[in-house]
Amino acid sequence: MRLEHLLIFGSVMAATWFVAIYFWPRMLLSVFKRAILVKGFGDGPIPVNTLYTQREDLFADPLHVPAGGSKVASAGVNRDTLLTLGWLDLSKGPLVLQVPDMADRYYSVQFTNPSNNTNFAYVGRRTTGTAAGGFLITGPGWDGEVPAGMGHIASPKRSVLLIGRVLVYGDGDIKAAYHLSKQMRLTRQA
Amino acid sequence: MSRTYAYFAGLVGTVCVAFILAMLFLPLTRTIRSDVLQGFLIGFGLAFVTAQVYARIKAVRINGWTTLPRLGNPGNGMLMRAACAQLFPGPVNAAEEAVYWWANSDGAGAALTGQQEYVLHFPAGGLPPNNAFWSLTMGDAGNRFVANSLRRYSVGDRSGLVPNPDGSVDVHIQNEPPAGRESNWLPAPSGKFILWLRVYQPRAAILDGSYRVPPVARVEGGQR
Repeated sequence: MRLEHLLIFGSVMAATWFVAIYFWPRMLLSVFKRAILVKGFGDGPIPVNTLYTQREDLFADPLHVPAGGSKVASAGVNRDTLLTLGWLDLSKGPLVLQVPDMADRYYSVQFTNPSNNTNFAYVGRRTTGTAAGGFLITGPGWDGEVPAGMGHIASPKRSVLLIGRVLVYGDGDIKAAYHLSKQMRLTRQA
Repeated sequence: MSRTYAYFAGLVGTVCVAFILAMLFLPLTRTIRSDVLQGFLIGFGLAFVTAQVYARIKAVRINGWTTLPRLGNPGNGMLMRAACAQLFPGPVNAAEEAVYWWANSDGAGAALTGQQEYVLHFPAGGLPPNNAFWSLTMGDAGNRFVANSLRRYSVGDRSGLVPNPDGSVDVHIQNEPPAGRESNWLPAPSGKFILWLRVYQPRAAILDGSYRVPPVARVEGGQR
């Protein structure tokens, strides 16, 4: 076998190996992006900078996933928390996340960097407590003042995947958890 | 990290290595086109195998339970992020928020199946230490919910588990309801299954690895 063939083969192989490993998380997150913005979870696509909460009936009866929606949010078995999902785009300025008083109920809002699938910030019972509050979410290069009384989430990227989880105490509590989840809102900074 | 997945990774790895060896030592006619195409395919195959092998090296196995440390934490390394993206269907929590264990085999290493009956015995004071909640959730061989008469898909701190007189807690994992112990029954399918143990806001004993999840023990004479 001639050396030049070996070199071409070897360098293509090494480059593909590196690129595939490096971009694997991004590939997974692009599936999520598509699921949220294009397909939705049974109620049509979810616009950018909007939060969507998993349906109560789906949580109550997880055996029957509605047809037509993306399966990514219902992959795996989770009967603890009601999920809220959103795809954020910070290129047109900061957003504000409002959370209601959760009265010591476990909840968390995870901010995931879609380029490497790691979580750069959390809002929730562990990190910020369960009182009502607002959090300013800013993109890279943002330069401004965080309004008084507001928390600050600085994102390293313009795109963010947001995943909210609100604990469900039992079958009789799904409605309450859903109601609280729906009070987590995203607005543009006034 | 199911066995099928392990065999698949092994197969892909073997094919890739065999191909490289064949290329080096067999007198094949080569074109640049085939160099590029084969380099791409084998590089991709090896990337998959690398992440799978890395996950297995980094995985912590105790009593049949497996967990991966530092999932979802920034700075956890390119290989860990690739492994995480392959093993989990979506973004998972950082360890400080939640720790996950999964098991597809009992404490003795045999595959979990509804053809057997199992007990998960937490000694008194030995429930997973947490500041939020814990749960044990059943998934069938395809990691889907399992239909059952109680419509119970998980047990945990909110499911009304009844402790034994000595304060220990037994979870009965089996296909048929255990007579008189339905409160502590986690319904299993008739075939193979996976268990997920989730602990949210885990305490230091979990984060530093000193807490050991008890084994899922097969009940002697419990087979159907």
